[in-house]
Amino acid sequence: MLSRRDFLASGLAATAAGVIVPPVLAKGVVAAANDGVHSDRVLVVLQLGGGNDGLNTVIPYADPGYGNARPTIGIKPDKVLRLDDRAGLNPVMTGMQALWNAGQVAIVQGVGYDNPTYSHFEALHVWEYADPQRRAVDGWLGRLLAKQVDSQGHPLAGCALGQPNTPAEMRAQGATVSVIESAQSYRFQGGTGREVAAPALYRRTPGIYGVLFDQALSTAQEGMKALADASKYTPSVPYTAESTVYGSKNDLAAALQLTAQMIVTQPSVKICHVVLGGFDTHQQEDTRQQALLGYVDAAVSAFMKDLDAHGQGDRVVLMTWSEFGRRVNENGSRGTDHGSAAPVFVVGKPVKGGFYGEPPSLTSLDMGNLKHTTDFRSVYQTVIRDWLGGDAAAVLGGSFAELPLLKAA
Amino acid sequence: MSTASLRLSRRQALGLAVGGAAGAAGLRLASLHLSGSPSASVSAAGAAGAWASPLGTSRGLAAHLLRRAGFGYTDAELDAAASMSYPELVDRMVSQAPQAPAQPPRMRTDYRAVSSWWYTHMATTTAQFPERMTLFWHGLLTSDFRKSNRFPYIYQQNQLYRRLGTGDLRSLLLAATYDPAMMRYLDLDQSTARAPNENFSRELMELFTLGVGNFSEQDVREGARALSGLRIVLVDAQGQSLPLPRRQGMTPQQYYAQLEQLAQSGAAFKGVLTPRLHDGGSKSYLGRTGNIGPEQAVDAILAQDACAVHIATKALEHLCSANPSNDLVTRVAGQFRGSGYDIRTLVRAILTSDEFTAAANYRSLVRSPADYVVATMRALGQPDLAAQAVTAGAGMGQVLYDPPTVAGWPSNGAWLSSSTLLARVNFAQTVVNRGGSLPDPATAVRNQLDGVVGPDTAAVLNGSQSTADRWYALLASPEFHLK
Repeated sequence: MLSRRDFLASGLAATAAGVIVPPVLAKGVVAAANDGVHSDRVLVVLQLGGGNDGLNTVIPYADPGYGNARPTIGIKPDKVLRLDDRAGLNPVMTGMQALWNAGQVAIVQGVGYDNPTYSHFEALHVWEYADPQRRAVDGWLGRLLAKQVDSQGHPLAGCALGQPNTPAEMRAQGATVSVIESAQSYRFQGGTGREVAAPALYRRTPGIYGVLFDQALSTAQEGMKALADASKYTPSVPYTAESTVYGSKNDLAAALQLTAQMIVTQPSVKICHVVLGGFDTHQQEDTRQQALLGYVDAAVSAFMKDLDAHGQGDRVVLMTWSEFGRRVNENGSRGTDHGSAAPVFVVGKPVKGGFYGEPPSLTSLDMGNLKHTTDFRSVYQTVIRDWLGGDAAAVLGGSFAELPLLKAA
Repeated sequence: MSTASLRLSRRQALGLAVGGAAGAAGLRLASLHLSGSPSASVSAAGAAGAWASPLGTSRGLAAHLLRRAGFGYTDAELDAAASMSYPELVDRMVSQAPQAPAQPPRMRTDYRAVSSWWYTHMATTTAQFPERMTLFWHGLLTSDFRKSNRFPYIYQQNQLYRRLGTGDLRSLLLAATYDPAMMRYLDLDQSTARAPNENFSRELMELFTLGVGNFSEQDVREGARALSGLRIVLVDAQGQSLPLPRRQGMTPQQYYAQLEQLAQSGAAFKGVLTPRLHDGGSKSYLGRTGNIGPEQAVDAILAQDACAVHIATKALEHLCSANPSNDLVTRVAGQFRGSGYDIRTLVRAILTSDEFTAAANYRSLVRSPADYVVATMRALGQPDLAAQAVTAGAGMGQVLYDPPTVAGWPSNGAWLSSSTLLARVNFAQTVVNRGGSLPDPATAVRNQLDGVVGPDTAAVLNGSQSTADRWYALLASPEFHLK
């Protein structure tokens, strides 16, 4: 097996069977068909950082327990965007409501895990590593990338977009991740001399960080080449930024626009990560969370529209997650403290819309917190196995309850 | 400097190979000669090769210390440091008194202006060690600007961590608890007896002092009660209380101008305990019971064995190695606790440990982006790069006073992604592209990189045609991103 470094140096990829294929960068389809994941499907993971309040996102408006627990920051029943006679969306989520009406939104209710932690960092660890014991050292998307989706090290198979650092869930031994904050700044400044000199500094760096350094630089270099050569791939519909659908002053929208551009122009893109932070609403939640959900709603709706306009809607599924939901009872600062279970959204044309899983009880609580009804790894299993066609058990270390939220292939 | 002075061929390098002179056993080294200067070594390439440690020499050791307990140095500063014995040098550094910046920031109520001012100070102060600790505490007892902007809270917190960051931990923790930027950041200013807010209570134990597993959910709730009722008040330069500024009848601009004027007049905001809003009832917190308030809560934390261990671990990760051994942590924590939590004792224990000076810890830390740009400013003697530093920070993954989470900044390997490394390399280009005179790069290879370079960097330096190109190679190299 060639190391990533050998592979990049030779420009040739050897499959497990030893068949030499042309340089993978010129053949996105090859990357799309490697290592057991034989599809052109894309998974987009949207992280809501800080612990999004699920109860004010998907609102059980008909349950009297909700109004009692949320006397000041609760959403009044007449304001809720009703999805059925029991629950509805936060009033700012009109775009999500439209996608729901089009049958493209699955809402998995009460998602969590046993013995939840109320620490941001432990909870992040649980979700990022798909391990409630917090012993795993590699992120779940990183494991998926390294072992299945991209064992050949294509620089664009895994992309973290609109952020500078590699997200923990994508970090893993052998996983190559292109981190691109903006397409415009993803280049060596200073002309040809620097384009030659910078990579030449990072070929075989000594020391404990040597591989990390070299991999980061070569990933950047190869990603740049791929972006520069995008026109050669002649995507079915050339990407033109539909900037009007994304609006402005919305960082998440900018990140998802870059994601759409990558998906449309780069057939090798398989897994993308975007993030919006700020959901740790201990105070003034009513105004702050609504502003954030407004960004999410506008960005996701625009993203879906954009993909559709480029004929790519059938290739892409987006899922959300957050490290925890929040306490059922509001606190005295018009906010909520750290809690447990919360809903997960899975969005896209391939999705079979509707509610999944049991809504958690608002009265049978654990220290004031919701008891989860669906293990979060059921969602991961669905997107790995049913969507990407991967081996979920190998990534998750076990099998979880079925969540048949995708349309039959 | 002539082009020839840096030139070495692969053949020459290999011809002068000295096997196993330093570093890991079996390491193959090749020397090269910079004309008229001591030889530099080219370390073996790749993951199998370790950097050839120069820590056996007094000059190498002095440079290592200056990079870690401070930020960087000029040639003259390194010469002076290398002429002292190592214990004397450690003593000199750790005893430095904090030095306040000579000038105030252009604006005290704008975090970017404060950051720019701080970069300039990090790049110019002669008391580098207290500044290093200011940056350390900014990462550990962190706050972001978002709920504080337009107020001088970030400016005040910066000064606070400089003033107390080398003193005793108890004073620092209490001051941080009553610090307006912290109170806003973790919602302490919202917490009342009737509705205690748990945000600060949790992070004080989990992230700042004890670590996960060393407290219970009950402690979080009881701690929130103990810390309830803190409010932000305004005092003038003499400490007399002033009414909080009102914004009624003002445009936002007028209101912001008023806040800036207040700050310039020497008025300061501070946290006070308001008995009417504080829960004076009995609490059970970390094994103690009674009418616990903020002071007693901090004392209960300091009584936990986990506290010195947690802070020692963080300080070791910042100053010594990415993964300090349990044995080292125990030793350093023991000295820290034994000194009554004296921060200088903590750091002295780290800097004088065998591990700090071991070959394995040569270049074992990745410079943070702030560290990298300040080291650049110092190496070039260009302290006027603060504006560029503020702009470039976002791409490198570090905007001062905007940490990604309350856990502060990532460290070491987590600083490196395709995007952040690109931003660092591009910062090197910004710097060398400014024009103006640059110091001699051959001397810089010797002083800033200890004359220890990998084969790639040696090759690029050899192939460079101009001083600017050589400085680009040096500042963009993996060697300069490490310390």
